[in-house]
Amino acid sequence: MSNEPPIPNADPRYFGLTADGWARVLAPLLVGLLALGAWEWAVRANDVPSYILPGPVEVWNTLLRDWHTLSVSLGITLQITFAALLVAAVLGLLLAVLFAQSRVVELSLFPYAVILQVTPIVAIAPLIIIWVNDVRIALLICAWIVAFFPILSNTTIGLNSADHNLLDLFRLYGATRWQVLTRLRLPTAMPFFLAGLKISGGLALIGAIVAEFVAGTGGSASGLAYRILEAGYQLQIPRMFAALLLVSATGIAIFLVMTLISHLALRSWHESAMTREKG
Amino acid sequence: MDHRAPALDIAIPGLAFGGRQVLGELRLRLPAGHCTALLGPSGVGKSTLLRLVAGLLPLPEGAWIAAEDGAPLTGRVAWMAQQDLLLPWLRLRQNVLLGARLRGERTDVARADALIASVGLSGRETAWPSELSGGMRQRAALARTLMEQRPVVLMDEPFSAVDAPTRHRLQDLAARLLAGRTVLLVTHDPLEAMRLAHHVVMLRGAPATAEEIRVPAAPPPRDASDPAVMAAAAALLESLAAAA
Repeated sequence: MSNEPPIPNADPRYFGLTADGWARVLAPLLVGLLALGAWEWAVRANDVPSYILPGPVEVWNTLLRDWHTLSVSLGITLQITFAALLVAAVLGLLLAVLFAQSRVVELSLFPYAVILQVTPIVAIAPLIIIWVNDVRIALLICAWIVAFFPILSNTTIGLNSADHNLLDLFRLYGATRWQVLTRLRLPTAMPFFLAGLKISGGLALIGAIVAEFVAGTGGSASGLAYRILEAGYQLQIPRMFAALLLVSATGIAIFLVMTLISHLALRSWHESAMTREKG
Repeated sequence: MDHRAPALDIAIPGLAFGGRQVLGELRLRLPAGHCTALLGPSGVGKSTLLRLVAGLLPLPEGAWIAAEDGAPLTGRVAWMAQQDLLLPWLRLRQNVLLGARLRGERTDVARADALIASVGLSGRETAWPSELSGGMRQRAALARTLMEQRPVVLMDEPFSAVDAPTRHRLQDLAARLLAGRTVLLVTHDPLEAMRLAHHVVMLRGAPATAEEIRVPAAPPPRDASDPAVMAAAAALLESLAAAA
């Protein structure tokens, strides 16, 4: 028959990437290197003392020198981040499923989820740290509050966006409510949930850092934010930058991991993850 | 399952949505084992009627849709829509087996593969829907509809989204594979109606009422190049244009 399936992308590849792929990697890298070079040059040329602004080379050396302390702190921050993300994902998914089952529940609870989302975490973090004895749990709650909403909101939209014609088809096939949920609504919601997870991954990290900042030196858990505060007090600015660098690198890594998970889960069937020929 | 397709009697005293009268008084008989095509200008209520028969819309007061054999229609109706409605996260074979899996029945893979072969898709059983072209997907949807072994088949513009040659082949395929079932085919295409249907009914007016149209004497599937079929399709097109 005349209908051929889409032809796979056939652009020439250099070392595994297309010309476009290389441009996508190299162009931002070049901009980054130029900016770092300019920064280093500005610091050296103007003899800026390192307690005002350290150059990137000094920051990097500090990172290597203090790696032991910083990596322990990184581990603590990561623990809180991922615990919060996990709880946010599980609770967000469960609550979204509950919303999809009952309009009344959704109408009654969704506004509170919004309130939770719009309340500035910096403002309520001190209260949570006072109320909850265990600092780690308090930090986890703060990070969870920030990370929870995108997952809940996205998954709710996803569960409600099942194709009406497919819902009709399932009805004609005599599918039970449970089957409609597990075999139609949840798979439909999957890309939405994963998009929420991608946003929440970064937010969980920010939530954890903000909470650590608020808990400050009073916190017994000494995550990366605590290192930043401590270095600031001691005017060890290069170390502060090194910790900051780690926070950013962690955020990027979390984003990449979530993107990879999303890609692996959706690549065979969802538009967002499939490679298509250029139209 | 009872393989004998029942005739269907449809009587609707009228149907209104949000204050707007969609269907007027309507009496329609779908003869047993025959294909009845339903045409009419857009928005006249064809799809609404189809959904009423499928049980997807609650019947208005005083309306009835009954099978001649007296048994309820529930579970005896298969549905094929304009969109292929394949689940993108299931491979082709699993899509064809969807109904059986939802009912918790033992899945008859051999029959599914035979049907996939009969719609010309053998070798693609494990393909994802996204790997198939529009025409292929619509053939897969036909295989899934046939997998259900329902005596009554409702089709809502099933081939309108594919190109003309593919549509032509799909019509032949559908006529062959659906023979003996009671089919209600909603379509916009006069030629499709004249090729496939034993009976052609046109809905027109507001609120819409049904009018039976004469069809050529030859049994379907009729040859598109048959002058009688072409003339009937042209005449139907004229009256559709006049009704719009």
